[in-house]
Amino acid sequence: MSSDTQLARFDLVERLVHWSTAIMMLTLIVTGAILYLPALALRVGHRGLIENIHVITGLSLLGPLVLGVVGPWRKRLIKDLRRFDRWGASDFDWFKSSARRSGLPRDKFNGGQKIEAAFLGAAMVAALVTGVIMRFAPSSWITWATGATLVHDALFFAIAAAVIAHISFALSRPDQLVSMVNGRISRAWAKAHAGAWLSEVEVSEVEVSEVEVS
Amino acid sequence: MAEQPEQQSSGGPVPGTKPVHVGRRTVLGILGLAAVGIAVGAKVDNALGGVSSAVSNAIGVPLPGDADFRYYTITGSYPVIPAATYELTVEGMVREPLRLSLADLRSMKRTALVHQFQCVTGWVVPDVHWEGVLLSDLLERAGTAPEATALRFFSADGAYTESLTLSQAHRPDILVADKMLGTNVTADHGGPVRLYVAPMYGYKSIKWLNRIEVTNVVVPGYWEDNGYPVNAWIGGSAPVSVVP
Repeated sequence: MSSDTQLARFDLVERLVHWSTAIMMLTLIVTGAILYLPALALRVGHRGLIENIHVITGLSLLGPLVLGVVGPWRKRLIKDLRRFDRWGASDFDWFKSSARRSGLPRDKFNGGQKIEAAFLGAAMVAALVTGVIMRFAPSSWITWATGATLVHDALFFAIAAAVIAHISFALSRPDQLVSMVNGRISRAWAKAHAGAWLSEVEVSEVEVSEVEVS
Repeated sequence: MAEQPEQQSSGGPVPGTKPVHVGRRTVLGILGLAAVGIAVGAKVDNALGGVSSAVSNAIGVPLPGDADFRYYTITGSYPVIPAATYELTVEGMVREPLRLSLADLRSMKRTALVHQFQCVTGWVVPDVHWEGVLLSDLLERAGTAPEATALRFFSADGAYTESLTLSQAHRPDILVADKMLGTNVTADHGGPVRLYVAPMYGYKSIKWLNRIEVTNVVVPGYWEDNGYPVNAWIGGSAPVSVVP
């Protein structure tokens, strides 16, 4: 295998889930900022319309992910979601300064990507639950609605920060950004940044070629 | 390569090490924090509102849990009405229709009360100072017809409407307010004159109030048409007067 061949990093299902969720997330952040920040609320107005866009988008946000994991097309997505959960020494290593890193081969995602994925996944669920309480809870739940508002407001800042970090990391690593568009990344990249994943891919390549031979 | 442990094919850390379930713990931790926040958030608001508001005001960005107003407007811009040209109309099923300037309104009996502004979505501003004319005093001056049962409120923004029943309107904690927070009601808060319905959620306290129509049918207002309750009692049922 030459080192400039391309590896399949994300399948079509993963990319569709990513980009539809991304578009909805940006819509939620923009409409959320208009609803939440007084300067924007007064400048933009149209609160009923903005609220409806925010609520409908929020209710739909987890739709692509749920669709992605329930169908027969879910295999690769599930496998990658599992990577966000399972951490080894090389994942913890990512948080150290480069001088103190051990250089252990990494998984398909590094520790920073894994923690961000876990955080955003949980934050999306928490924002959905608190948002539903704020919008649809009966009048007698007002104490809980106040608590839900506190959590939802805090999530606005946390999610916005995580998404800004995500986008700036993506822009400064074009090969990874492109892999979320066309699904492919170079073997050289994998060798340098995801050695454990590369071995995993090579094992399955060996298996595939054995099957082809037999 | 035949010795590769099984976990490698299911995704995860480097072979030979036992995976730590950091992702799962992160998710459960955040969901747990959120649940605690929902349960005790109202108490946290009370305890931290002052501090949070001070920081919010200093940096110009509302912080979670602060005790400040959010500003709502349902049209693209909001009306800025000079005090000199403001006029409030009371009409419909009345003995004497009224057209009141701000000076006329201010010459009537004044009522002040200090009470929270509670939004139906959860945010709350405690201990707001309100001042103006009791809605019931205004209705008494206009003289409502015996068959009248309800009120419609209209806003100078041309879109915002609200409603009350006539018996609700006679409560002693509903003001046609021209002062709040110790000063004239500002345009962004719905000035020069807004309603303040103390026992109900904030959306009943219509902003830029310029017309009250006495009628015999409750017509749901703007937010009620968007799914919020017509009888918007805070906590779900009518309290005794919130003023002592």
